[in-house]
Amino acid sequence: MADLEVRNVTVKHKNLTAVSNISFEANKGEIIGFIGADGAGKSSLMHAIAGIIQFNGEISYNKYVYHSPKEAEKIKADISLMPQGIGLVLYDTLSVEEHLEFFADIRNINKDAKFLAYKEKLLHMSGLSNFTKRVAGNLSGGMMQKLSLICALLHRPKLLILDEPTTGVDPLSRIELWEILDTIRKEEGTIALVSTAYMQEAEKMDKIVLFDEGSIIAQGTSKTLIDSIRPFTYQEITEYKEDIITFDKHSYSLTPQKYEKSEPNLEGLFFINALKNNKTLPIVDIGQRKSSDEIPAMIMQAHGLTKRFGDFIANDHVDITLKSGEILGLLGANGAGKTTFIKMLLGLYPIDGGELKLLGKTIKNANDRMELKSKIGYVSQHFALYNDMTVRENLLYFANMHKIPLSSALQRIKRYSQELGFDKYMDKFPTEIPLGVNQRFSIAAALLHEPVVLFLDEPTSGVDTIARAQFWQILHKLKKKWGISILITTHYMSEAEYCDKVVLLKQGKKIADDTVKNLHKLHPEAKTFEDIFLTYFKEKQ
Amino acid sequence: MKIFFIVFSKEIISFMRSIALVAVILYSFTADIYIAGAGMQIRPRNVAIGYVDNSGGGISQKILSHFHQPEFINPKAFTSQQALSDAIFNKEILVGLIFSSNFEKAYVNGHNTKLDVLLDATAASQSFTTLSYLQNIILNFEKIDIPITIKSHRLFNQNADDHSFMALAELLSIITLLTVILTAMVFVKEKEEGTWDIMLLMPVNPKIIILAKSASQVFIVTIGVILSLGFVVFGAFDTPLNGSFWSFILLTLFYGFSSAGIGLFVAAVSKNIMQVAQISIAIMMPLIFLSGAWTPIYAMLPIFQKLSLISPLRYYIEGSESIFYRGTAFIDLLPYFGGVIILGIILYWYGFKKIGNLF
Repeated sequence: MADLEVRNVTVKHKNLTAVSNISFEANKGEIIGFIGADGAGKSSLMHAIAGIIQFNGEISYNKYVYHSPKEAEKIKADISLMPQGIGLVLYDTLSVEEHLEFFADIRNINKDAKFLAYKEKLLHMSGLSNFTKRVAGNLSGGMMQKLSLICALLHRPKLLILDEPTTGVDPLSRIELWEILDTIRKEEGTIALVSTAYMQEAEKMDKIVLFDEGSIIAQGTSKTLIDSIRPFTYQEITEYKEDIITFDKHSYSLTPQKYEKSEPNLEGLFFINALKNNKTLPIVDIGQRKSSDEIPAMIMQAHGLTKRFGDFIANDHVDITLKSGEILGLLGANGAGKTTFIKMLLGLYPIDGGELKLLGKTIKNANDRMELKSKIGYVSQHFALYNDMTVRENLLYFANMHKIPLSSALQRIKRYSQELGFDKYMDKFPTEIPLGVNQRFSIAAALLHEPVVLFLDEPTSGVDTIARAQFWQILHKLKKKWGISILITTHYMSEAEYCDKVVLLKQGKKIADDTVKNLHKLHPEAKTFEDIFLTYFKEKQ
Repeated sequence: MKIFFIVFSKEIISFMRSIALVAVILYSFTADIYIAGAGMQIRPRNVAIGYVDNSGGGISQKILSHFHQPEFINPKAFTSQQALSDAIFNKEILVGLIFSSNFEKAYVNGHNTKLDVLLDATAASQSFTTLSYLQNIILNFEKIDIPITIKSHRLFNQNADDHSFMALAELLSIITLLTVILTAMVFVKEKEEGTWDIMLLMPVNPKIIILAKSASQVFIVTIGVILSLGFVVFGAFDTPLNGSFWSFILLTLFYGFSSAGIGLFVAAVSKNIMQVAQISIAIMMPLIFLSGAWTPIYAMLPIFQKLSLISPLRYYIEGSESIFYRGTAFIDLLPYFGGVIILGIILYWYGFKKIGNLF
């Protein structure tokens, strides 16, 4: 019998089934990875195992079987849950030292020499030894997560549940988080359940559980999973066929093809699963734009752009240029200053220093922006949509705001909904439809007035693999058909591959700025973009 | 103008789709005002009176017979002063009378007659009103012949009916509170969801969007006011309306915009709905205190009298009371309109500056 057994667990939120009929096992010292998009049910399952929400089915931990939060009460001393969200369990005004004191006290830990030694070790591993006096509010995102983790480890839990501990955290801190986890589980024999949004982290896990829409689509070690889809993975196939999905230099098909095979990765599992369920990617197609404005060669030139919030410098003399017809990726961890930069470009924040030229025009004040408004499209973080209006109403409202005549507005809305594949959701409310669909529909909203440049703020965050693949297809088609320029921010380093040029931000400063090709050339030893950025991160440490 | 209409109708649709909000508005404008009007009592009601009568009855019982329902519960006899004090201590009795053994004798002999009264001063208004009743009763016993009679004429509110007065005062407070909170909410909700940024980036003058959004909330409140006037103020309480109905509605509209200006200010300084609630209360309370709704302006400290000039509610209350009770002509209402409009313009100007601009 395994140390942790989850049998047929189903979690429901009112009428909505978050996860259904989940079973898996884990043994002491293992790291089990939960991989899947937002809303796939990872968090719900974690909360069920931690014994904080009601569920159906049974969970056995060390031969103790529980069916409800009440029954789980007995093993709570062994469990530690770190919820999703950076620094969520921390108190902004308490220092690192005070946090450790506080969590030790509420767990009623005997503060003997053994504990003090363990505490010192945790502090040392997390690299927080020199920051014990600093209040949590002044820590960087990565440090906050490390502090949250060691707080969760203080009482030496035997079942550690971490909900997306690394999402939005800088690459260096991410590696450190994994190191802490690895040491602890070896020394303490902890079972660790870790969910993540990054596929690359999968290789650090002993077993992977892949989630899609509330059920497990595959589980096993990284190697067996990849082996399982080897027969279906091909080199990029340019020919279009109904039963082939192509994305990021790989093509997937269940039926044998005459093309050459290629080395699969974990993302492929989601595509294969989609194929198995007959969910082929709807073809996205972008028609020609109606208006044909003269587009200047330089879309955006930012020189020494600076933004301060009190003592905190969010953007420190950042120089970035965006050329016509270019996809520029602005990469960085949470808090690196990506959103602040976009907001300065748009005029949502005042610029504290530096010069900004948009579409050949120097921006001095709000009046300079008036005529540019009709040329810029913007999709904000979390897709700003009106939740009390249907998709159709939202789009009509935005079209009206852009003063697009009703007849052509209706025509465009119809066209986009078909081209971007959300026409069957037109009369639904944004809260009722999947995140990936919301993402496409907010792109449509930003395209209604046929802008020449798109600013996209973390549009792919939390969206599932397939929707993300589709999204990038849309962007590439837009670039090709419309000659549109795109500035996109993301904390997924792997998405750099799909851009023409990338800029890497760290704590408000630019640490790399080059074309994707050049970066690969400069770092031939790097396997992924993650590795390339890591070298820049370490360089500027 | 088309944009104005589109934003306006979008807000109305959003409002109608939020069933909870509609319910709160309907409750506030009907049941809440009815309860305020029907429940407020300035006259004593069911006041418990106890007494110790050592005088042997006679005059004392005559006095006591004046205390009857509905204002008072029939006085209850106690055997000793100690028992009466205990009853007052236990909140069973509010006012206690003690007739000493020589009470009657002294009264008949025309000596200085003393009646001891115990008052529970924690229920100050009720017990002191009871005291003044008692003084009136005793005055009637005196055989002094003063050649003055008072003949009072009740102006504006002939029945001295405080129900209608309280209902109207409550209505005015509700209008203020709801307009401020509703307006602040529609803006902060957009700020929270990020749609406000999108609106600022639309090739439309943000001032129009702001005006349309606040107009929609003022419209909702005005509909509520009309419902409330029809069903509660006129329907249930028969409040007299001596002035023009339309000048009241017009004043309400202007005042609505002025309050919406406060809402805009609140929205500009708060980041989420939680803060809206906190800041609205922090701003509203002084404005209501200064408005003369609870204390007449002339009874305030001179500095507060000056400060009350910045409360738009002051002009609205004075204006409304003039319309309802005094039947003031429109031309004489102009100062009130002026005060409301000028303050509204200042608040809007600040709101536009604070949240209606790109940089």
